[in-house]
Amino acid sequence: MDFLTALMTIGLNHFLVLGLVIFGIGIMGVFLRRNALITLMSIELMLNAGNLTLLSFARAQHDMRGQALAFLVIAVAAAEAAIGLAIVVGLFRNRKSTDLDELNLLRF
Amino acid sequence: MTGIASLMGSAATGLPSLLAQVAQAQRIPGKIDPVPWCPAWAFWVLAALTVAGALVTITRRNLIGAVMSLVATFFGLASIYALLSAHFLAAIQVLVYAGAIMVLFVFVVMVLNREEEEPWSLRSPVLKAFGTGAVVYLLVRIGELLFFARPPLPQRAGTPPPNFGSVSEIAEYFFTKFLFPFEAVSILLLIAVIGAVVLTRTVAKPTSVHDLPLDQQPKDPAADEGDSGAHAAGHGAGGH
Repeated sequence: MDFLTALMTIGLNHFLVLGLVIFGIGIMGVFLRRNALITLMSIELMLNAGNLTLLSFARAQHDMRGQALAFLVIAVAAAEAAIGLAIVVGLFRNRKSTDLDELNLLRF
Repeated sequence: MTGIASLMGSAATGLPSLLAQVAQAQRIPGKIDPVPWCPAWAFWVLAALTVAGALVTITRRNLIGAVMSLVATFFGLASIYALLSAHFLAAIQVLVYAGAIMVLFVFVVMVLNREEEEPWSLRSPVLKAFGTGAVVYLLVRIGELLFFARPPLPQRAGTPPPNFGSVSEIAEYFFTKFLFPFEAVSILLLIAVIGAVVLTRTVAKPTSVHDLPLDQQPKDPAADEGDSGAHAAGHGAGGH
């Protein structure tokens, strides 16, 4: 395949790879950072990457169901952000810290 | 530890077959949709903005900087949704993510403003080596997907119909086929609201004996009488 053609003809693969890259960055954020807020932001990034994949397949198949599903994912992400931030606030109130490495009470 | 070892083993056995796949893939003539989905410059500019924003988000030590670059990422993603002819979803993305969720994040960051001393979690060299290996493997797979032809994924040719992604199309699904998930999401949001209130509620100091737990309330009925009497007096004063 001509490299330039692949660069200039945007198709399904480009959007899927973009979603993969964003998901990978989100996973790296969850694994590498110790701050609970950064971890929540990385989870939002991963949910958005999943949404991007859903919308790409919806566009490829000309099927609206992918977009309906992405809408539901956005609603679930909003609920997740609210609950996650509430947990972080409660955590900070009890431990005066948002460092996830200090939360090892249930660690084996 | 055995899990990590088996993972390493599968990665090691996977690499030769992966290289064989790549060599095979070079011989397949490329078949891509000749009609581009969108202008190439728009995709590349927005993809660069999105990936740069995501990288800045996970590397900033300053939390406000991280939130602001996350806003940039979400705007880039909304534009990419618009490129995918999901116009309604693009608007919702800006409203919900770049609006509501980000305000919530900024609020919490302002409340808990703490600099962290050591932001990175990985300290053991074994874990660092494993993580680097995983990232390299991921990049190899991405490059394989980008630069070598694969059997095309099932898709329809041509541009979608003009009303694809409009509000009426989505609403039609939500009020016919997807009615149950739609209502279930409303119940989920209600539960999330109640849960957030319960989790962040502070237990106030009791101002009256009635606010105490039942086993700590005084058994003496006289205290109760006196309290209600005071209430009645207050009512009387207000009435006259």
